[in-house]
Amino acid sequence: MGMNQPTALEHILITTKVEKVMNWSRATSVWPVTFGLACCAIEMMAAGASRFDFDRFGAGIFRASPRQADLMIIAGTVTYKMAPIIKTLYDQMPEPKWVMAMGSCATAGGPFDSYHTIQGVDKVIPVDVYIPGCPPRPEAFIYGFLKLQDKIMTSSLADRYKDIFEEVG
Amino acid sequence: MSEPNVPQVPEVPETPAGPYVYDYQAAPFRQITMPKTVPLPSHRTYLAEQKAAAEADEAKWQKMQADYETAKAKAEAEGKDAPKPPARPVPRKDDNDVKTPVPEEAKDADLLTLQALLGDKVEEIFEQAGELVCQVKKEAIFEALTLCRDEAALKYEMLADQSGTHYPAAKDFAYSVVYHLTSISRRKRLRLRILVPEGFAPESACSLYPSANWMEREVYDMLGIRFANHPDMTRILCPEDWEGYPLRKDYPTVGWGQRDISFREDRGGMLERIALQKAGQLGINLKQPKAE
Amino acid sequence: MFKNEEMEINLGPQHPSTHGVLRVKLRLDGETVTHCRPMIGYLHRGVEKICENQSFFQGQVWTDRMDYCSAVANNLGWAEANEKLFGITVPRRAQYIRTLLNEFNRIASHLIWLGTHAMDIGALTVFLYAFREREDVLDINEAFCGSRLTTTAFRIGGLREDLPPGFEKMVRKFLAKFSDCLEEYENLLTENRIWKKRTIGVAKLSAEDAIALGVTGPMLRAAGVAYDIRKSFPYAAYAEMDFEVPTRTEADTYARYQVRMAEMRQSARIIEQCMDGMPEGPVMAKLPKILRSEVNEVYHATESPKGEIGYYLVGEKGSLNPYRFHVRAPGFINLQSLPKMAEGGLIADVVAAIGSLDIVLGEIDR
Repeated sequence: MGMNQPTALEHILITTKVEKVMNWSRATSVWPVTFGLACCAIEMMAAGASRFDFDRFGAGIFRASPRQADLMIIAGTVTYKMAPIIKTLYDQMPEPKWVMAMGSCATAGGPFDSYHTIQGVDKVIPVDVYIPGCPPRPEAFIYGFLKLQDKIMTSSLADRYKDIFEEVG
Repeated sequence: MSEPNVPQVPEVPETPAGPYVYDYQAAPFRQITMPKTVPLPSHRTYLAEQKAAAEADEAKWQKMQADYETAKAKAEAEGKDAPKPPARPVPRKDDNDVKTPVPEEAKDADLLTLQALLGDKVEEIFEQAGELVCQVKKEAIFEALTLCRDEAALKYEMLADQSGTHYPAAKDFAYSVVYHLTSISRRKRLRLRILVPEGFAPESACSLYPSANWMEREVYDMLGIRFANHPDMTRILCPEDWEGYPLRKDYPTVGWGQRDISFREDRGGMLERIALQKAGQLGINLKQPKAE
Repeated sequence: MFKNEEMEINLGPQHPSTHGVLRVKLRLDGETVTHCRPMIGYLHRGVEKICENQSFFQGQVWTDRMDYCSAVANNLGWAEANEKLFGITVPRRAQYIRTLLNEFNRIASHLIWLGTHAMDIGALTVFLYAFREREDVLDINEAFCGSRLTTTAFRIGGLREDLPPGFEKMVRKFLAKFSDCLEEYENLLTENRIWKKRTIGVAKLSAEDAIALGVTGPMLRAAGVAYDIRKSFPYAAYAEMDFEVPTRTEADTYARYQVRMAEMRQSARIIEQCMDGMPEGPVMAKLPKILRSEVNEVYHATESPKGEIGYYLVGEKGSLNPYRFHVRAPGFINLQSLPKMAEGGLIADVVAAIGSLDIVLGEIDR
């Protein structure tokens, strides 16, 4: 057997990192939690329905329970009364988990600069992707989701638990 | 050495590290402008205002004529040309489609029936913009509502809406509470109105119109008017431990600091310390929300 | 032998079938609901307070976001209430265009209701069909005002712009296929055995209870009361339109479904009449540059897809912003009837009851 000729094994095998495979499988089958707060939830539903078909990106299975989900889409205004509940829901989700802030309200309070509105969901939970718009069009939502997929693909375990590693020493 | 032409950049004080905390003093909505007038539509005050305006107008006209007479006499004495006689100023007419409705005398049969039945418990009746308004004494609201529902000539079956307004500039009352009644069978609407001083609890309409239940809770939540004999006088929109009544005119739009509490995981208590410090400077008592 | 114990559970605020952030506290005896208490306020954003601090013109932006499924109906109520406050007469062409857009909005709102309500009960397919046609309505919205959902469609005194070119073609195209689409939904649901089992006789609300609780809209019409503000207190161009007010007498979830389906047909009829009889002329009334209010208070109610939406405005003399801005939200009042419908029924029927109410939490909490 000559050294230059490829073996049968090399035709069917690819070598890669475990992390990359994990990231690839996570990015292409994200399960969002069904969690609509306000107006943006309607556009989120529209993105999932007939014309835009969010299922193409592997994220069509909206789970009703946070324990089965790994993406939380904050679609709407976060109020003072709702904020502790969002925090609880976020804590119930298993790691690894991601958060998208959809729309101006979830990003920075939007037009509701008033007494009962939290000015951005990032005061409550950490956010990975912010989508501007009031409400964002389904196209914008899908673009934001593609950005999240990029983020998942490039993430590494070492980065994710950096602060914990540092604390441990 | 810096060049002489370039202006010196003033030193910017270093912003403290940590999360963004809303600066209340600088916020434009923080400044409360208390209303100076009492915008309570009323036929009686409208007539009085019109009369006063007409009198002022007449007095002005008289003065203009007197001035003219003296000026004319002076000019004749001095042998100069007589000044122009004054023309009465005509109110400017705008060429647009706006015709602001004014309070008119009550002509509708429903209002007259109400006044006949309630007698001196009715404070005022008038019509404005095609809407019927009946202001009753605050103690008589339950009686008035009972009449409106049960009297065969009135038959207002539905309480469509109930709300209140804060009038901090008024002297002998602080709030108005309005009831919008609808008669489905007769296709009519009626507004009942009471004026309530601070601390007075008007009788609840729940036993007559069950729809008043949540509306009265909302009025209590937003304005702080309690209703007597209400089955469940609790806050409905804001949390139970909320401080202040948001729709009062002395409440700032951005609130008193509750919304700026951070619910983020707070390692080492950094966020809490900043929030409490910030609130302490403003004299605000921050409370953590109750766990539900 | 067996211990009887009542159980208390929370439905929501995060629950797929509460249409937002509604929380219902239920006390259960087995599967039977013995006590039901809706708790709201999780989306309270202070719209009334914000609007009191904005000028008369600016308030419309927040009305869009109250009932986000039917923004145009909110805008219409807001615009007409302001026009009543200032005493403005709106040109006839503007009235027609408003009526037209309002009816499109009714269709879009009912389609969302149909899709989500059917999905709650278990019929997922209808959701995809309903959203297909809804996108066409949103395209029409977009052609007119540039936005899909939060339209800000009108101005005080009329409209900002006339209809765009090619608008009529879009409308005719939609109307041509819409009745077939309605038949498609009805094929999926009307005679569906599961659908009928889940809806007939479920969550009844008699006419007397409905009137006492202030319930309006399709909920009231399904109980046999033909109260439609478009007929009873005509506004916009509804006095010139020829349409029926569909009613049923069964007062259950199935009757509400039938009423809403019939309403969509009537809406299509009104749109056609608007398009046929569209008058020529200006679309904006002559207004002064600055609108300052006089001392005045108005309550103006219009028929939104959910029921009676009323605006209560108080004007201060010489002021640029309303002294008081209050919204009578149909969902807020209608939701009060949930205990009446749910108590004594099964827990699974609570979901059907919430669905048939067609609530939007944005307008309930404001």
